[in-house]
Amino acid sequence: MLTALILLPAIGAVLIALVPGRRRELFLPLGVTMSIGPLALAAFVFTSFVTGEPGFQMVEREVWYEPWGLSWYLGIDGISLPLVALTALLVPIVLAASTAITHRLKEFVMYTLLLEAGLIGVFLALDLFLFFVFFEAILIPMYFIIGIWGGERRIYAAIKFFLYTAFGSALMLAAIIGLAVLSSRQTGVPSFAYTDLLDVSLNPTTARWLFGAFALAFAIKVPMFPLHTWLPDAHVEAPTAGSVLLAAVLLKLGTYGLVRFNLGLFPQASVDFVPVMAVLAVIGIVYGAVVAIVQPDLKKLVAYSSVSHLGFIVLGTFALTSGGLVGGLVQNINHGITTGALFLLVGMIYDRRHTKKIADFGGLAQVMPIFAGLFLFTTFASIGLPGLNGFIGEFMVLIGSFPSLPIYTIIAASGVVLAAIYLLWAYERAFTGVPDKPENQALLDLNLREKLVLAPLVILMLLLGLYPKVLLDRVQPSAEAILDRIEATTNYVVPEPGRLEHVLLMEEGE
Amino acid sequence: MIPPPEINWFALLPLLVLGLGAAAVLLVDVQMKPHPKWLVRMAAAVLLATAAGALLQGWWLRRLEAGETVGTPLPFSGFLIVDRYAIFGTLLLAAIALLGLGAGQRFIVSLGRRAAEAIALVLLSTSGFMLMLSTPQLVMMFLGLEIGSISLYVVAGFSRQERQSEEAAIKYFLLGSFASAIFIYGVALVYAATGSLQLFEQQELLSRVAFVKPGVLLIGLALLIVGLAFKVTAAPFHGWAPDVYQGAPAGMVGFMAAAAKVGGFAALARILATAFEGYIETWATVVAGIAVLSMIVGSFLAVVQSDFRRLLAYSGVAHAGFILTGIVAGEAGIGSIWFYLAVYTVQLVGAYAVVAAVSGASSAGSPLASYAGLAKRQPMLAHALTVLLLGMAGIPLTSGFIAKFGVFQDAFRAGFGWLVVVALLASVVSFFIYLRVIVTMYMEEPLEDRVLVLTVPLRLVLWTTLAMTVVFGLFPVPLLRLTAISLPL
Repeated sequence: MLTALILLPAIGAVLIALVPGRRRELFLPLGVTMSIGPLALAAFVFTSFVTGEPGFQMVEREVWYEPWGLSWYLGIDGISLPLVALTALLVPIVLAASTAITHRLKEFVMYTLLLEAGLIGVFLALDLFLFFVFFEAILIPMYFIIGIWGGERRIYAAIKFFLYTAFGSALMLAAIIGLAVLSSRQTGVPSFAYTDLLDVSLNPTTARWLFGAFALAFAIKVPMFPLHTWLPDAHVEAPTAGSVLLAAVLLKLGTYGLVRFNLGLFPQASVDFVPVMAVLAVIGIVYGAVVAIVQPDLKKLVAYSSVSHLGFIVLGTFALTSGGLVGGLVQNINHGITTGALFLLVGMIYDRRHTKKIADFGGLAQVMPIFAGLFLFTTFASIGLPGLNGFIGEFMVLIGSFPSLPIYTIIAASGVVLAAIYLLWAYERAFTGVPDKPENQALLDLNLREKLVLAPLVILMLLLGLYPKVLLDRVQPSAEAILDRIEATTNYVVPEPGRLEHVLLMEEGE
Repeated sequence: MIPPPEINWFALLPLLVLGLGAAAVLLVDVQMKPHPKWLVRMAAAVLLATAAGALLQGWWLRRLEAGETVGTPLPFSGFLIVDRYAIFGTLLLAAIALLGLGAGQRFIVSLGRRAAEAIALVLLSTSGFMLMLSTPQLVMMFLGLEIGSISLYVVAGFSRQERQSEEAAIKYFLLGSFASAIFIYGVALVYAATGSLQLFEQQELLSRVAFVKPGVLLIGLALLIVGLAFKVTAAPFHGWAPDVYQGAPAGMVGFMAAAAKVGGFAALARILATAFEGYIETWATVVAGIAVLSMIVGSFLAVVQSDFRRLLAYSGVAHAGFILTGIVAGEAGIGSIWFYLAVYTVQLVGAYAVVAAVSGASSAGSPLASYAGLAKRQPMLAHALTVLLLGMAGIPLTSGFIAKFGVFQDAFRAGFGWLVVVALLASVVSFFIYLRVIVTMYMEEPLEDRVLVLTVPLRLVLWTTLAMTVVFGLFPVPLLRLTAISLPL
C-alpha cells in the first residue's frame, strides 16, 4: 500500500507525458485528478493507522540487492504519517492554484507529480539508501520548477538551492555509507535498513562526526541560521506551487530528518549537541523574525517567517522533552498548512497585480473583502492565536522546552511577539486604509476556484486548532518512543515536567 | 623441450573477428567501392559478431568450470586469458565501438573514399584495447595499448583540413608515445625485479618472496601506474586530454575517450589486483593521491571552461578520479569499477554524440554558447543531454548515482573514508558544471537557428544511451550482479 502511495503520482506523471502537448487546457485538471488518487490513499492510510502504536506500521520490506544490503523498505509511524498526509493534500491544491502558469504546462504538472512521489518516498523510506535516493531526487523537479517557471533571478535561485542542498547531502551520504560499513563490520551482514542501523554501537567521537554530517544536511534543509540564505531567494523566485511545496513540505524534510535520524540514530551525540542546536534555533527564531519585519516583499516576509517558525520546531526537538518534541512535530504540520496558505494567498494577489511589494498595495480590504478576511485568518493562525492551529504547536514547544532549556525558551518566546508585529504590520500596510492606487481599485475578489483551493487549508487550521487530538494521538507515541530510546541508551533523563501528560494537564488547567 | 602451443580458438575469437573484420572492410572498399554507409553497417555487423564471440567465450568458460571440456583459461602459454573480467571488458568495448560508430556515422560518411580507413582504425583500436584487457602478460598488454593508441592518434587527426585536428593528433601522438614509453619502462623494471612478465607468475613470486629492498619493483610499479594514468586522463597526467578532445573530429571523440578509458582502467585494475595484490598498502595510497588530485583538478577546471568538449574532458578527469577511488579497494572494488566504467563510458559516447549533432560532425571545438536554447532548437538533443549529464553528475535515479555509490562504498570498506568525503565534495562541485550546461540549454535564448539534422544512427545512439542511463538507474540489480561476477581469475 505504501509502495502504491509512492508509485501513484509517478504513474500519473508518466500518463501525463503520454498526453499530446497541444491539449494544454487538459493538463491542470488531469494533474489534479492524478493527485486525487494519492490523496485518497493517504487519507485511507491516515485513518487506518493504529493510534497508540509507537513503531512502524504497514511495513513493506523486499530485498533489493543483498551484496550491498539494499532493500525496498517502507514503513510509516506517527512522525511521518502527518507529513505524508500533508504532502498528498497540498499537491492537488497547488496544482489547482497554478492557473497562472501558461508555458510548458505539461512539464510543470509532470514535475509537480514527480516531486510528490519523491517527497512521499522520503518520508516512507526506512532504508537509508532509499531515503537518500528520494532525498536527492526531489532536487531535480524542484530545480526545474524554480528554474523554468520562476521569477527574474530564477536561474541564480535554482542553482543556489541545488548546490546548497547537494553540499549537505554529499556529507550525509558519506555518513550513511560510513554507518552502514560500521554496521556490516559489527554484524557481518551489510544493511542500510534504519532498524538495523539503530543497533550499531558507535564510539562517541564517531557518533559526533556522523551526527554532524546528518545535522548539516538537515540544517541546510530546515534551514537553520546561518545556512538559511538560499531560502529567501528560492521562495521569492519560485512560482506559487513551488513556494508552497517548498515551505510546507521540503523544509520539513530537515526537521523530520533531525528527529528520525539524528535523535534516532545518535542518542548520545544528540544530547551532547543540544546547546549548539538550541543556540542556532533561537538565533534563527529571533533573527528570522527581525529580518521579516523589514522586508518590503510579501513573499520574502513569509520566507523569513519560515526561518523563525522552523526555529521553534528545532528548539522543541532538541529540548528533548516530549512536550517539545511532539509540539515540534505538530508545529511541522501547522506551519505547513498556514505558510502554504499564505504563499497561496500571496500568489493570488501576485496573479492580479504582478507585484509582491507591500508598498504597492494598500486598502485591499475594501476591494477584496474575502481575500482580506482569509489573509487575516491565516495570519492569526500563523501568529498562533488560541483556537487556531498555530497556537497548539508553538505553545507546546514553549511549555515543553522550558523545563530543559529555560533561558532559550524565554528568548524564543519573543519570536511569538515579533511574529505578531511583522505579520500584522504587513497586513495593516497592504489591506487597511483607502485603496489610493488606481491599479488596486479594480481588483476582483477571489473566484470560486480560489475559494475552493483555500477552503481545505482554512478548515484544517480551525480543526487542528480546536481538536488537535487527531494529530497528537498519532504523533505522541512515536515521539515518546524516541525519547525513551535516548533515556535507555544514555544517562540523560527527561526533566520533570517533561512528559506530555504534564503538559496537557497544564494546558487544561488554564 | 617447449611444448607446441595449443591453439585455443575460443580465446582468440573476438580478437580474430575484429582483426579480420577490419581487413575485410578495407578490402571490400578497394574491390567494390560501396557507399560509406554500407561500410559502417558492415563494421557494425563485425562488432556484433565480436560480441557474439565474447558470449561464446563465456559459454566455453562455463563449460570449462563445470569440467565439461578440457583446456586452460590461460591459453598460449599464458599469453592470453579467458576469464569473466576479459569477457565483460570485451562486451563493453564492442558496445562502445558500436555506439561510437553510430555517433560518428555522419562524419565517416562525409569522408567519402577515406571512410574505410576510419572504420578500420576504429575496429583495430577496439581490438587493441580488447587485447589489453584479455592478457595477463605485460608485454602483450603493451602491444594492446599500442595497437589501440596508435589507431586513435590517427583518428584524432582525421579531419585534415582543420588545423586543430592536426594539432590534436600531433599532441596526442607525442604525449601518448611518451606515456607508452613510461609504461614499457615500468614493465622492464618489474621484469628486472621479478624475472617474469606474467602477472600470475609475479603474483606467485611476490607472495613467496619478501623483498628487503623493493626499490626497483616499486619504481616499476609506479611507472606502470603513471603510464596507465596518462591513458585514462588522471591528473596530473591529463594535460593532453582537453586539447585532443577539443580538436579531434566531433563524431569520433566519444569513442576515443571511452575506449581508452576502458582499456586503461581494466589493465590497471588487473595489474594491481593480481600481481601486486600483496602491495596494496603501498600502491593504494599513491592511487588515492592521484584520485584526489584528479577529482579536484577535474571538477574545478571544468567549471571555468567555455568549450563544451573541454568541459567534458575535464569532467572526464574528475571521473577518472572517482573510478580510482574504487581501485584503492583492490579486488573487492572491481565489480564497482566495471559498473562505473560501463555506465560512464556509455554516457560519454552519448554526450559526444550530442556534440557531433550540434557542432557538425567534423568540426573542432564546440563553444558552450552554441548550446544556448538547444531545448527550443532541438528538444530531443537537449532532453537527451540533460539526462546524460545528470547521470554523469550522479544524481539518484540515474545509473551514475549507483556507480558512484558503488565505488564510494568499496573505498569506505577499504578504510578510505576520507577519500570518499573528498570525492563527494568534488561531485558537488561537478554538479555545478553540469547544471550550467543544462541552464544554457533550457533557460537561455538560442544564438543561431540553424536546423540540426539527426541521422537515424545518431537517434539510436541517443535513445540507447539515454535508456541505459535511466534503466540502470532504476533497476541496477541485473548489471550489478553481472559486474560483481566479472572478476579477474
